[in-house]
Amino acid sequence: MSRHRAIRNLDYEEVLDEYEVDLQEEEENRLLMEQGVVDVRSALDTEASKVTKEQIEEALWHYYFDVDKSVTYLTNKFINRPAPKAPKPATQKPTGKYLTPATATISCEFEDSSDWAENNRHGLGGRCSSQTGSRQDDVGFWVSGSCPSYPLPQASLPALFHDMPWGNIPKDRESVLIPPVVPRSRCGLLGGTGAAPKMTKLQALAAARKKKAQEKSSEQEVEQTRAQMTGLSVNSSSTEKENMPLSGAFSKRLKTSSSTAQGRVPIIPTEPRSESEQQSANPITKEPEVVEEPAQARPVKKAQPSAFAQTLFSSHTPTITIRQDVVTLGLAPSVLEAFSKPSPDDIVLAAQAKAGKKPPAGQSKKSKSSNTDSLSSSVSELKIDDTPLPKSRNINVLSEFEKSTKKKSASFVVVGHVDAGKSTMMGRLLLDLGVVDQRTVEKLRKEAHTIGKSSFALAWVLDQGSEERTRGVTIDIATNRFETETTAFTILDAPGHRDFIPNMIAGASQADFAVLVIDASTGAFESGLKGQTKEHSLLLRSMGVARIIVAVNKLDMVNWSQERFDEIKNQVSGFLSATGFQKMNIAFVPVSGLHGDNMVKRSENPAVGWYTGPTLIEELERSEPSARATKKPLRVNISEVFRTQQSQATVSGRVDAGSLQMGDAVLVQPATEKAFIKSILVDEAPADWAVAGQSVVLHLSHIDPMHVKSGDIICDPNKPIPKDKTFTLKALAFDFLMPMQVDVHRGRLHSAGKIIAMPALLDKTTGGVKKKNPRLVKPGEVARVRVELDDQVPLEAGQRVVLRSGGETIAAGLLE
Amino acid sequence: MADRRRINGPPGATMAPVFEDDAGQPEIKNGKGRDRAPNIIRKTFLKTGVTPSASGSAYLEFEGSSKSGVSGLKLSCTVHGPRSLPRSSPFSPHIVLSAHVKYAPFATKQRRGYLRDPSERDLGTHLETALRGAIIADRWPKSGVDIIISIIEGDQDRETSKSQGDETWDMMNVLSGCITVASAALADAGIDCVDTVAGGVAALVQDAGEDSTPRIVVDPIPSDHEKVLGACCVAYLPTRDEVTNLWFKGDLPAADAGLYTQLVENGIQASRTANRVLVECLGEATS
Repeated sequence: MSRHRAIRNLDYEEVLDEYEVDLQEEEENRLLMEQGVVDVRSALDTEASKVTKEQIEEALWHYYFDVDKSVTYLTNKFINRPAPKAPKPATQKPTGKYLTPATATISCEFEDSSDWAENNRHGLGGRCSSQTGSRQDDVGFWVSGSCPSYPLPQASLPALFHDMPWGNIPKDRESVLIPPVVPRSRCGLLGGTGAAPKMTKLQALAAARKKKAQEKSSEQEVEQTRAQMTGLSVNSSSTEKENMPLSGAFSKRLKTSSSTAQGRVPIIPTEPRSESEQQSANPITKEPEVVEEPAQARPVKKAQPSAFAQTLFSSHTPTITIRQDVVTLGLAPSVLEAFSKPSPDDIVLAAQAKAGKKPPAGQSKKSKSSNTDSLSSSVSELKIDDTPLPKSRNINVLSEFEKSTKKKSASFVVVGHVDAGKSTMMGRLLLDLGVVDQRTVEKLRKEAHTIGKSSFALAWVLDQGSEERTRGVTIDIATNRFETETTAFTILDAPGHRDFIPNMIAGASQADFAVLVIDASTGAFESGLKGQTKEHSLLLRSMGVARIIVAVNKLDMVNWSQERFDEIKNQVSGFLSATGFQKMNIAFVPVSGLHGDNMVKRSENPAVGWYTGPTLIEELERSEPSARATKKPLRVNISEVFRTQQSQATVSGRVDAGSLQMGDAVLVQPATEKAFIKSILVDEAPADWAVAGQSVVLHLSHIDPMHVKSGDIICDPNKPIPKDKTFTLKALAFDFLMPMQVDVHRGRLHSAGKIIAMPALLDKTTGGVKKKNPRLVKPGEVARVRVELDDQVPLEAGQRVVLRSGGETIAAGLLE
Repeated sequence: MADRRRINGPPGATMAPVFEDDAGQPEIKNGKGRDRAPNIIRKTFLKTGVTPSASGSAYLEFEGSSKSGVSGLKLSCTVHGPRSLPRSSPFSPHIVLSAHVKYAPFATKQRRGYLRDPSERDLGTHLETALRGAIIADRWPKSGVDIIISIIEGDQDRETSKSQGDETWDMMNVLSGCITVASAALADAGIDCVDTVAGGVAALVQDAGEDSTPRIVVDPIPSDHEKVLGACCVAYLPTRDEVTNLWFKGDLPAADAGLYTQLVENGIQASRTANRVLVECLGEATS
């Protein structure tokens, strides 16, 4: 029947009637209760005052208004009530306090339960200990039951400690603390650490149970077990006891169960079978002994551990047993004796082990005694680890260098006024020497023609930047190299424009000598002499360039006029001498950079017949390379830093001093970061080593590229270049010097600073002090100047620096 | 299935040289025969708590025969657990029991491999069945226990060239020892059991001689007898009077049903005796 039908058929009247019936019943109950109370009161008669109405009502309710039963209950419960049962501990109390009925009942329960536990224990007494162990777990209050001598806590704590003095607790009030049973020692053997293995939660639980079971087994029980064991081992006539290790009720129960089992499963026999039965059931077995034996004594077959087990379990008593069967093999006693002693090998090994241990012991003793001495000495010996990489071949670079039959190498910087034709001249030089082929030049010429600067084609061989080409001026130094029969040259094509003087300084600092290009065309020479021709030559001299070749360019424009050439020669040589160049170090060559006259080939133009001197290339070859400071500590001036596949920090620069080889440890200043030289390129060819004077490309390893900048110095880690913020220099002033902001240039490095002091004005020739603390230094004067920089810069005495201010060179000098 | 990872010994049996006595007893094989009463098991040494790193462990030894060359049985059992099952395994409401039995390579006359062979697996299965009836498995849900038995010496007569034809007889003795030692180790580990289970072996043997009749002996040593007709290994709980594992093997006359009962009965007798040793050993350990 569906639910909605059930609801539809629901008789509301009936349901409501039921409620009415309930109400009626309640009314009836009330009446019955009133009547009952009256009846009970009357039945109790005089005792009625001892019970309250509520008690009567309750009793009636429970007995369903049965007056007689209620009366009996009330009489027993409240009227003929026995004296309150005072438990033993309560009577022990000296104060004799009465306990509330509630606690009394609780203690009763305790006693009951402990009794029960006691019984239970006796009943279980026959069981083997392990079984009782598991059984005990179920009996939760075993402990309290088994130690009845302890008073149970009945009253509240304040009551318990009511008369307890602080300290001086009487002996009888002290509680007895029983130390836990010491966990049986397991024989430690068979590997494993001494420490207990880490237990899982479950294992811990199992262990806790195990321990609990052990603790619970009271002495009495142990005795019982022991008695049982002795009963087993000693000949005991009682088969019952022997075969059924249990006694008491439990064993009885078992017996019945076993009998039922026998009935159910006939093949499983029970122990107490009579002989005759067994005999009859076993037709094969004829011998009576077989059956007699079990009835007789059946001792526990406990064997002594074998030799193997003995060695396993009792390592402390090694009992040497001579195996008889070995001896009977017929070995002579002498043979046995021979093997009783350690073998010669053993003796030798022992001696070796002893000898091996000795030296370290002696060493430690020694180090202890001279501990303080060695400490100070070791501190003084501290140095930066400069062990080269294993890649290093440990070449003696200097001897290699002397042995090498290499061409002499020289680098020269090409300087001059802007548009003097420096780049074009170098382009022509390279073209004529075959370093650059004709096709390249033709291509460049075509390109130059398209933008209407066909005369710049040769200059573009060196000026490769797009900006340089569009502007038609050299901006940065262009490096190129060529070789003649005797010398390997490095060209440093410097910019002539005044805005790029710092780049020119960088180029000049790398050069052995210089080529000064002078535009011979009318007006150009004059403007040049006032302009960068003058400034460049001053800078060259102050940078330490001693030799200078003056290429008088564009003489074809003036029809190779000898007069023009001589005029220029006179003016320039006079000026250069004044600057400080020696006459013998100045050479003049009339050339035409665009056409190549007197460059590599002597001019075929009859108009130049008057010139019989060397061509430019001959003049270049005549230059003696400057002395190389190969014996000095390593200094490499970094001019460029870039990334290559070999190294993230690849640097190019010139070795100013010292020598280096592959695998060397070096120090990069001012970052003070150690690096290793992975490989070296000298003249774009891999080399194992490099010496002062060479332009090199170094691939550095073990260094972050951020620590290497152009203008930094790579130096020997043992003799690093000092870095400082302030320095003193002997400066030749080109302009008025006073305490002012200056830019300090040294090679690629340029750093902002200021002149903080000018301690002395010096005599140009003698070097003596002319005047102390001049307020102003005039152009052409030499003064000692103290400069402070904004940040630390690697500088050392003997280096040449240039001071510039406002885009003009104001002084050049030598660091002191 | 060769074990290529280790350097194995020679596959064949190798025997140390045996030198004859001066007296020269030609009949080594006959020896003395069985020197115990038919219903007496060999003397047993049992000790628990031998492996410190295991939760429970036991070592069992059956002493060898009086004949030289029969070495007896030496077993070492370790119980690891109860420990929580790995997360990957499904939920188990009761303890997961795994029994591993392994012969040491040198334990038997025929050298054993390092990997378990079918007979060892078989022993493991029997052992597991025997113990499962004893352990109260519900008390340890979601946990597992590993029982590992190493057979150090496999109860074989190394000197008889004659093989008994079937290794099962040896295996039965080994199994009974395994059951007893595992039970001891379980008790040592504190894993709840309804009772201590012990193993016992009974066999119907035929002795050498013209007119000897077959008889039932407990704890047989196959080499003591001319022939073993049948044997059974029983795992028995004495207080419950229950058999948890029964292994019966042999060809008995089918007509005689009572013979089977007799064999099992004798196996139970042997098991009871072994159990007494077990109980005593555990009592020693706890006291």
